Amino acid sequence: MVTVTININGENRTASVPAETTLLRALRDNFNLPGSKLGCDVGDCGACTVIVDGKPINSCLMLAAQAEGRTVLTIEGLASSNGVHPLQRAFEDCASLQCGFCGPGVIMSAKALIDEVPDPSIPQIRDALGGNLCRCTGYVKMIEAIRIAARAMRGETAEVNR
Amino acid sequence: MRAFDLYVAKDSRDAVMLLAKHSAVSKVKVIAGGTDLLADLKFSAHSPNVVVDISRADELKSITVTNDGLRIGALVTHSQIMRSPVIQKMFPALVDAAHTIGAVQTRNLGTLGGNLVTAVPSMDSGPTLMALEAIVSIQGPEGRREVPLTEFFLGPRKTILKPDEILAEIIIPKQNLGKPTHFLKFGLRKGQALALVNVGASFWVDEDTNTFVAPRIGLGAVAPKVIRAPQAEAYLEGKEITPEAMAEAGRIAATDAKPISDFRASAGYRKNLVAVLTKRALEGAYALAQAKR
Repeated sequence: MVTVTININGENRTASVPAETTLLRALRDNFNLPGSKLGCDVGDCGACTVIVDGKPINSCLMLAAQAEGRTVLTIEGLASSNGVHPLQRAFEDCASLQCGFCGPGVIMSAKALIDEVPDPSIPQIRDALGGNLCRCTGYVKMIEAIRIAARAMRGETAEVNR
Repeated sequence: MRAFDLYVAKDSRDAVMLLAKHSAVSKVKVIAGGTDLLADLKFSAHSPNVVVDISRADELKSITVTNDGLRIGALVTHSQIMRSPVIQKMFPALVDAAHTIGAVQTRNLGTLGGNLVTAVPSMDSGPTLMALEAIVSIQGPEGRREVPLTEFFLGPRKTILKPDEILAEIIIPKQNLGKPTHFLKFGLRKGQALALVNVGASFWVDEDTNTFVAPRIGLGAVAPKVIRAPQAEAYLEGKEITPEAMAEAGRIAATDAKPISDFRASAGYRKNLVAVLTKRALEGAYALAQAKR
């Protein structure tokens, strides 16, 4: 067993886990944060995407022990007492998710993109979502939502042409 | 995943000490970015008893220009290569190659060293580094040794690394700094695809005679390991730079390639891809050379 302390969504959390435990399993099973999804478990689908030290990564491909001392943001960390995050609001408004399984990963990828590029182009958004597989809704409405959210996060309130 | 004991190395010296100690009695694997290893372990019947985590060895995470050339730490991630101002300026081909690997999430985790050590013949880092005559610096308990990348790979998933050694740095030798280089990959889709064929080509231009100087071609996914195309290189050396010469070099490179047929593509198709991609990679390198004039 290894003991790990990770800053998750602004809070230091500690758990004892078997060494082979991935960050994803620890988030879901030890820290009671099931928002990050277990899809392919080999880094293809992106459903497990979380942001570690500012960068989106596949939490199924990192050992929990490798996250020791790092800062992790999961989908559960986006909403605040003021309500849901602009990305979550835009995904809802645009009906960007149907089954929703890929949603947490897609939104975390989009969050990391907008943090780095406040006004992303459509090719930049497509590149940022290259590691997130959606098999039901498709990407058109996601890209639309990400552009709307990016505007809102830049403090621009004007409606985007849909 | 089956259970294993995990040891976290403080630095590269600590890593090889841990490897020396545990590899004598256990089946040991090294983890860095984890993108290859963890995906493998989840579906593999063979599991290590011990895993040594080298991801905290911060001295292997830098990109520096020294008297020897460009030194890239083995733990430098593909994202870091894409963002490096030095690499963007000297070798846009390395940026292009890094960009074709996996997706954002895997590029943020996966390391250049890991891509090489996994030694999959279709690795996207290989051809460009081959074309730039890269040297690898290997750390063992007794210290470092340097080996040309051409001698590093033994076959699919096999390298010359001993159980108590790690890849520490990748060095592009000084004489090749800024050498015009171009990388091309052909996969079945744009995102997250393994290469059917990938090619790196580089050469200097003799401005007076407009001829090829030191042409080097690296080919991936067409042999048990990443290879150079020696016949095509020999053909081009000293030849006048023309579209015909580049096309002929492509045809010769296709005979240097020894691909297999598998579910992704037939050997014949891969040979055709080698011919086309080699020609285009040479054209790309030439365009870069002219832009630099």
